[in-house]
Amino acid sequence: MTDGRLRVAIGVLALAGAAVSAYLVYSRYSGTRLVCTTGGCETVQHSRYAKAAGVPVAVLGLVAYFAVFATALSARVEAAAIGAAIVFGGLAFGIYLIIIQVAVIDAICQWCLASDVILALLALVSAERLRRLAARPQDASGRPPMAAPG
Amino acid sequence: MKRFLHGRNLLFVGVGSVAAVIAVVLILVSVLGSSSAESTSPAPTTTAATGSNGTTGSAAPAAPPTVPGAAGTAALFRGIPQQLNQLGNPNAKVTMIEFADPQCPYCRQFALDALPTIVKEYVRTGKVKLVLFAINILGPNSDNGLRAMYAAGIQGKLWNVASLLYKNQGAENSGWITDDLLRRIGNSIPGLDTEKMLADRFSPEVDSALAASSQQASNARISETPTFFAGRPGGTFRQIPVSSLTPKAFRPTLDSLVK
Repeated sequence: MTDGRLRVAIGVLALAGAAVSAYLVYSRYSGTRLVCTTGGCETVQHSRYAKAAGVPVAVLGLVAYFAVFATALSARVEAAAIGAAIVFGGLAFGIYLIIIQVAVIDAICQWCLASDVILALLALVSAERLRRLAARPQDASGRPPMAAPG
Repeated sequence: MKRFLHGRNLLFVGVGSVAAVIAVVLILVSVLGSSSAESTSPAPTTTAATGSNGTTGSAAPAAPPTVPGAAGTAALFRGIPQQLNQLGNPNAKVTMIEFADPQCPYCRQFALDALPTIVKEYVRTGKVKLVLFAINILGPNSDNGLRAMYAAGIQGKLWNVASLLYKNQGAENSGWITDDLLRRIGNSIPGLDTEKMLADRFSPEVDSALAASSQQASNARISETPTFFAGRPGGTFRQIPVSSLTPKAFRPTLDSLVK
C-alpha cells in the first residue's frame, strides 16, 4: 500500500473516530439519551471516569482525532510520528478505560468500544505508515524523494 | 546502545516515548481526578474489596465508597423538601404520582431523561409535588430496593436512593440490588445515615409504607411501570398519557394543571 493510501485510511478512520466522539459530546451537552444496546452507556458517561481534569474524555477524543486527521494531510515523517504517538497514547488510555468499565464501573459503553476499535485500526495503519517512511531516505525537507520521471 | 539509538530506531523510540507520556499523563489525571471525587464524599462504612455488583473478588480493585451519578443526584434534589415518598412543596397546586419498580428499565429512562427537567421546572418552582409509589412488579430482587427506598424516605431521602438505584441499575432479577450496593448508595447521599437506612428496611414503618403503595397500585389497577397520574389535591387524578419518557411528554398535562 502506498503512503498516499495509508494517509487516506488514517484520515477516514480519524473522521470516523471524531464522529463517535462528537456524538458523545453532543449527547453530554444536549442532555439527549445515547442510543445504547449494551445498556451501560449512561452509567459510563455519568461516572467519575468520564472526565479527565474536568474535561470530558469525549472532548479529548474529539480533539485527538482531529489532530490525527491533520497529520494525515502531510507527507512528512514528522507528521506521521506525531500522529502515531497520539494514536498509541490514546489506545493505551482506551485500554485503561476498558479495564475501568469492566472492573470498576461494571458497565460497558458501546460507543467507547467503537472508539477503541477505531483506535486499534489507526494504530495498525499508523505503525505501517511510520515503518515505511522510516525505511525511506528523506530529503532536506523531510519528504521522501520523488520517483524519477520515465 | 549508542548504535541502537540512531536513525530509524530513534524515531520509533521517540514515538513510543511520547505515546507512553501521553498515556501515563491521561491515566494519572483520570485516577487522581476520580480519587478527589471520592474524597469529597462521606467516608465509607465498609472497607471490603467488592465489585459494584456486590460480589467479592481478589482481582477487583477496592470498591469506591460512592456510586456513579452521586454528585448529579445530590445537586438535583438539594434543598427540595422530602417527606417519605413525596418530593417538593407539600402545598403545591398539582400532585404528580409515579408508580415505579427499581428494576424497571423504563422507570430508569424516566429518572434519567425526564425527571431532572420536571424537578427543575415544576418541583423547584413549587408548582408540582411528586409522589413515588415504589412497587414490586418485576421480581424478588426489587424488594430489597423498595425497602431501602422507603427506609431512606424516613430520613427524607427516598428520591435520592431511587435516583441512584436507577443510575446504577443492573439486569432484571440478576441480584444486582445487594446490601453492598445499597450501602454504597447510602454513602453517596449527603446527610443520610446509611446504617439506619439499612436497619430500617425491616421496620414497621417501611412495612406500612409498602402495604400502602401496594394498595394504591391495586386501586389504580397498575399492571406496568412506570405509570403516571396527575391532578390537584382533592380533585380527580388522571393517568398521564405519555408517548415517550421525555419532559416534552409531561408538559401538556402539567402545564394545563398548574394554570
